[in-house]
Amino acid sequence: MVGFLQQIVEGLGAGAIYASLALALVLIYRFTGIVNFAQGEMAMFATYIAWQFTAAGVPFWLALVLTLALSFVGGMLIERVVIRPVEGAPELTVVIVTVGLFIFVNAAAGWIWTFLIKDFPNPFPAGAFEAGGLHVGYSTLGILAVVGLVMGLLYLLFQHTRIGLGMRAVAANPESARLVGIRVGWTLALGWGLAATVGAVSGILVAPLLFLEPNMMGGVLIYAFAAATLGGFDSPVGAVAGGLIVGVAETLAGAYVGFVGSDLKVGVPLVIILGVLLLRPQGLFGRAVVERA
Amino acid sequence: MSAFLEVTDLRAGYGDARVLHGVGLAVPQGEICAILGPNGAGKTTLLRALSGMVRVRGGIRLDGTDLAGRPPDALARLGVAHVPEGRGTFVPLSVEENLRLGAFIRRSRAEINADLERIYTYFPVLRKRLKQAAGSLSGGEQQMLAIGRALMLRPRLLLLDEPSLGLAPLVTQELFRIVRAINEEERTTVVVVEQNAHIALGIAQQAHVLETGRIVLSGTAEQIRADEQVAQSYLGYRV
Amino acid sequence: MSGSTEVTSKAASAETPGRGRAPGRAATVRWRWIVAALLLAAACYAPFQLVPFHVFQLSMVLVYAVALLGLNLLVGHAGQISLGHGAFFAVGAYTAAILLQRVELPYPLTLPVAAAVAFVLGLALGLPAMRLRGLYLALVTLAIAIFLVPLLKRFEPLTGGSMGLTLAKPAPPAWTGLAEDQWLYFLALAVAVAAFLLAHSLLRSRVGRALHAIRDNEAAAEVMGVRLSFYKTLAFAWSAMFAGAAGCVYTWVIGFVSPDSFVVTLSITLLAGLVVGGLGSFSGPILGGLFVMFVPGIAQDVNDAAPGVIFGLLIIAVMYVAPTGLAGLAGRVTRSIQKILRKE
Repeated sequence: MVGFLQQIVEGLGAGAIYASLALALVLIYRFTGIVNFAQGEMAMFATYIAWQFTAAGVPFWLALVLTLALSFVGGMLIERVVIRPVEGAPELTVVIVTVGLFIFVNAAAGWIWTFLIKDFPNPFPAGAFEAGGLHVGYSTLGILAVVGLVMGLLYLLFQHTRIGLGMRAVAANPESARLVGIRVGWTLALGWGLAATVGAVSGILVAPLLFLEPNMMGGVLIYAFAAATLGGFDSPVGAVAGGLIVGVAETLAGAYVGFVGSDLKVGVPLVIILGVLLLRPQGLFGRAVVERA
Repeated sequence: MSAFLEVTDLRAGYGDARVLHGVGLAVPQGEICAILGPNGAGKTTLLRALSGMVRVRGGIRLDGTDLAGRPPDALARLGVAHVPEGRGTFVPLSVEENLRLGAFIRRSRAEINADLERIYTYFPVLRKRLKQAAGSLSGGEQQMLAIGRALMLRPRLLLLDEPSLGLAPLVTQELFRIVRAINEEERTTVVVVEQNAHIALGIAQQAHVLETGRIVLSGTAEQIRADEQVAQSYLGYRV
Repeated sequence: MSGSTEVTSKAASAETPGRGRAPGRAATVRWRWIVAALLLAAACYAPFQLVPFHVFQLSMVLVYAVALLGLNLLVGHAGQISLGHGAFFAVGAYTAAILLQRVELPYPLTLPVAAAVAFVLGLALGLPAMRLRGLYLALVTLAIAIFLVPLLKRFEPLTGGSMGLTLAKPAPPAWTGLAEDQWLYFLALAVAVAAFLLAHSLLRSRVGRALHAIRDNEAAAEVMGVRLSFYKTLAFAWSAMFAGAAGCVYTWVIGFVSPDSFVVTLSITLLAGLVVGGLGSFSGPILGGLFVMFVPGIAQDVNDAAPGVIFGLLIIAVMYVAPTGLAGLAGRVTRSIQKILRKE
């Protein structure tokens, strides 16, 4: 039993990381109807920036703040420069552009920092908190705390600030948002900036667990897709719940389904995506998908 | 004397399709101007042109300021509030949030809260629904919400597109009574597009009949109402 | 929204031969066949003039072209995205390799089996993914491409695990008097020509028209009675089939398969090649095949990351300025030259 709970705790730790990247995906999807395939690569790039800061001797938490700020600006810039020209274009065009961005950012990181793996400092102390035979690593606790904090801040932003209200208005009805005086273009850019920031958190949290390299986020992205599909692409709460569920499911499958093992765990998100599409296509928390004409 | 809202030789359309072919209007401050005409005459396009939602050629001046070519959010900042066809409600947001969004460009919390109270006195039903999602309101309530949201801007010019659409006759009458009251109390200039000519003429000072993108008849509300030929050919009913 | 759809479809339909019935079009179509015949003649002549390595490279261009032809059916003609066509390519390649090695099937028979396996797999995966917006297909296919590599490594007794499988290449029959590289080249050429003819007739059928209707406006197509999910799934299965056939020829030509040849980069490179070559056009897959074969190699001399940087930037640039890719650009240039000539 303790072993089982132990697996669940591990799963939640992994799930929190998927949740934050899924949240980034959902943020952009809610505003623009775009699934940003480059989200994981943007997070990876941000992680390299954080690594560069720490390698230059900047204390970790300061490096984190600087990186998040840069990610925010970077996300806005990408929206303005790369996405704006295809705004309103067919979905196919937009998806291909984000795939192009994916390839470009991945290669650019490889060009700047090479494809050799790098050690990323773990901001949380080693060791574990123990209760009733259950080991909860400080790093797992730290990840859960950071992701929880991000969610809380986003909730405050969206529910209790004027800017957040404006952003929700743009997501709900861009035309009416313009009519009440909201600058929709800038709001979309703001959404991309926020998503890039939230995504960067996931990259920085996952890097100490994996190794930092340009392809680091490829697998994480698939888990985040599964999380967003499971929770519903238009539901931030769903993205978080979906991320945690995917994390736990993956860990349990790896531990208890002998056939899966550690190498085939990456099949879990595929199974989840296919299962959700067959059984409940709008996801657990999403509204039914309406085809846009 | 130049009017508060002056529209001269306004042309607009969508892509290659021209909808308005040189429309001219002059509305003095504090008056209600009714735009009448059959379906497809360009009434909605005229309002969309006034709020910057379609590209225009020609002149639009509000109290001397040139409005033509500005985007909708800039026009909102200049005091143009548009209640679009279909009401443009922020469906998943609550009634209160919808109203507060109307005042998005305003800063003073105290004033905004005071204005909310004012809206609730015009539309008491909204107060009962404050925390409800706007999408759960009835058609009439949504129309009230849309007008309330527009008023939260403290508009200098209020554009109403078919406020009677889909509403029961009694509800429509009540709505127009309130529009009239708002106009009288706040001296807000109103341009209202309406299929229901009878009720629109009841509150307007002046009226224009639009057909295939041109104004074919203008006059005071009384003149238009009195003109039986107009009533039959353009408005489709006998007065 | 409708504006840019229009542009894409107009440009794309201009590139698709045999759709127009106007007399001017007929002449263009005839010209097209003459050009195709000349190209084919040149393609038959080439292997006798080139050194074996270049013949091998051209064979690979043909292999990629067949895969891109399939991808083009899906992306260019049905407007759906696959980020995992490398997986079907790999399935075809491994099916052929396993049949050759473990079953010792004669190699010509591996082609229909590889194509059929990929087709069935495409059908099975397309069914859930196609019930909704195209976006989900992109997610599912990307997940498949990532999942396939560990899966191949796992079934070691069958797939040879990480080491892969090494096979004897098909030997040229004595009567041809051809060298091995030339024989492989002609096999690839034969499959490519057959694939082009097949794709051509598919697109001219009722199904092809239904696909175009879906690409141009899903909602409208549905209103007109096109069974969306049926045709989308079919298009996906076909495109998987072409990729599977291409993978089979890949195995013949290379004589070696291993999981690391089919990582997700292959899928993304294929999509990049198609986008740059030209979506929805007939010459797009060939231009794309040349691109996939040669550009990474050249760019890699500069930096390991250079191919990615170039691909990424090119894809974005192409979507901005020329959604029909190189083929569309070539078409535009030809048309404007024709215009100038006509004026004089």
